[in-house]
Amino acid sequence: MSDVHILGVGMTRFGKHPDRDAADLGAEALRGAVSDSGIDPRAIEAAYCGHVFQGMVTGQRILAQVGLAGLPLSNVENACSSGATAIREASLAVRAGEHDVVVAVGTEHLTTRFRGALTPDPSDPEAAVGATMPAVYAMRATRYMEEFGMTREQLALIPVKNKTNAAHNPLAHFRDKITVEDVLESRPIADPLRLHDCSPVTDGAAAVIVMSKRAAKRYGNGRAVRLTASALRTGTVDVEPTSMTFEPLTWATAQDAYERAGIGPEEVDFAEVHDCFSIAEVLRVEGLGLFKQGEYPAAVERGDADIDGSLPINPSGGLLGKGHPLGGTGVAQVVELVRQLRGEAGVRQIEGARVGLAHCRGGKAVGIEGAACTVQILVR
Amino acid sequence: MTEMAVGVSFRPGELEVRPDGSGNLLGSRCGSCGAHFFPVREVCSGCLSDDMETVGFSTRGMLYTYSVVRQSTPAFEVPYALGYVDFPEGVRIMGQISGCEIDEIGIGMPMVLSLEPFGEDEEGNPLTGYRFSPAEGIAQDPRNE
Repeated sequence: MSDVHILGVGMTRFGKHPDRDAADLGAEALRGAVSDSGIDPRAIEAAYCGHVFQGMVTGQRILAQVGLAGLPLSNVENACSSGATAIREASLAVRAGEHDVVVAVGTEHLTTRFRGALTPDPSDPEAAVGATMPAVYAMRATRYMEEFGMTREQLALIPVKNKTNAAHNPLAHFRDKITVEDVLESRPIADPLRLHDCSPVTDGAAAVIVMSKRAAKRYGNGRAVRLTASALRTGTVDVEPTSMTFEPLTWATAQDAYERAGIGPEEVDFAEVHDCFSIAEVLRVEGLGLFKQGEYPAAVERGDADIDGSLPINPSGGLLGKGHPLGGTGVAQVVELVRQLRGEAGVRQIEGARVGLAHCRGGKAVGIEGAACTVQILVR
Repeated sequence: MTEMAVGVSFRPGELEVRPDGSGNLLGSRCGSCGAHFFPVREVCSGCLSDDMETVGFSTRGMLYTYSVVRQSTPAFEVPYALGYVDFPEGVRIMGQISGCEIDEIGIGMPMVLSLEPFGEDEEGNPLTGYRFSPAEGIAQDPRNE
């Protein structure tokens, strides 16, 4: 089993891009990653493209834009984990020895595909009775508040934290800091969640160049970061109802990643987690074993998850602040990890960061706890 | 409650509607290990047996959690309450909540299946769907006894 490294990273500004499409954005991100890596683009041997709603052969349209058409490419769809799944596929191709240099790109032009609340596929029995993604997470928040006594104000501190981080990220969708009052006075979406508790509809793309140890030695100049685990799981069908305040899927995927990396949760210095909603960040970090169940809201209140806290969560601004272009999301998380681990994160820099974790999960299907979950661990 | 015209089930594979207006949510029972699933499954996730029988579930359960939805797709008029109800067979099913005020809803409430008009088909014929209602209020209606 050979080591896998990430050298180049790139991403577009996340936000609304009315004059561009998913292929343009993907091409910008890919060219950014090539430029960051310093490699000749002709060294790229294969490509994976993660997206959800962009139609067939989106990845090929990106390659055509950047002069790399002809490479083997697969488009991958795993809902909000699509981009992270593209990185995993790239890492498997390298681990298998099939390729030395592979690009993973994730892109989404979501503003032309969706307005307002995302919903499960219309064929889903829960969509048929009015399920929206915010409603599903709102129900989990209701239950979590009942079981663990989390207050509405504590929950509001999560978007406040993430948008504070995003204010320092020039590529983030939102650049304005907000207060707890702003959260509590924003438009109600699905009780108890309000607009500031929800990630926005965002356009954007990100790309990373994954390579073998041999290629990293050749091209890296010491800037390559090791991708020590890239775990993927799909949710199981519940045989009986399970708690909705804990995530067995996140837990199981994290265990796969910790085992593969030979690293435990106590060694993680910071994490980018899938905060599609404020309550989601609570469920993710507790499912990952980074905080004990029921304890994260108080930890946020203490500042533990701030950039200068003991375990920073979502220093990029997360999905709540940086934005959530579905296919781009998981790749952009890894972009942030690489920049932090290289010490290139500017005012968002986490001092001494050595181990970073990225977590995505996405998709809703009736009877399944979660559709697709990824956990990736990067080490400097 | 007055008699209402009984429409066709909005999703016949998931909700059986009988001519007298009664009905049940449908799922699968595993003949090998006894596990229940909603909706119908071809293979048991617990033991991988394909000895699956379609069954109607109990009409009474308990509210596990809920939310009041205030922004949705154009297909649904907001606000509406949405909840997950746990049934004795060991299945948790999502549905809208009816028959009470929004501020009366609470985790742990006993709920009963309520068949109600639920939109129209493409030709404008009324469809019957389901919601969950607090069990106390509905229990006095003999049609549901």
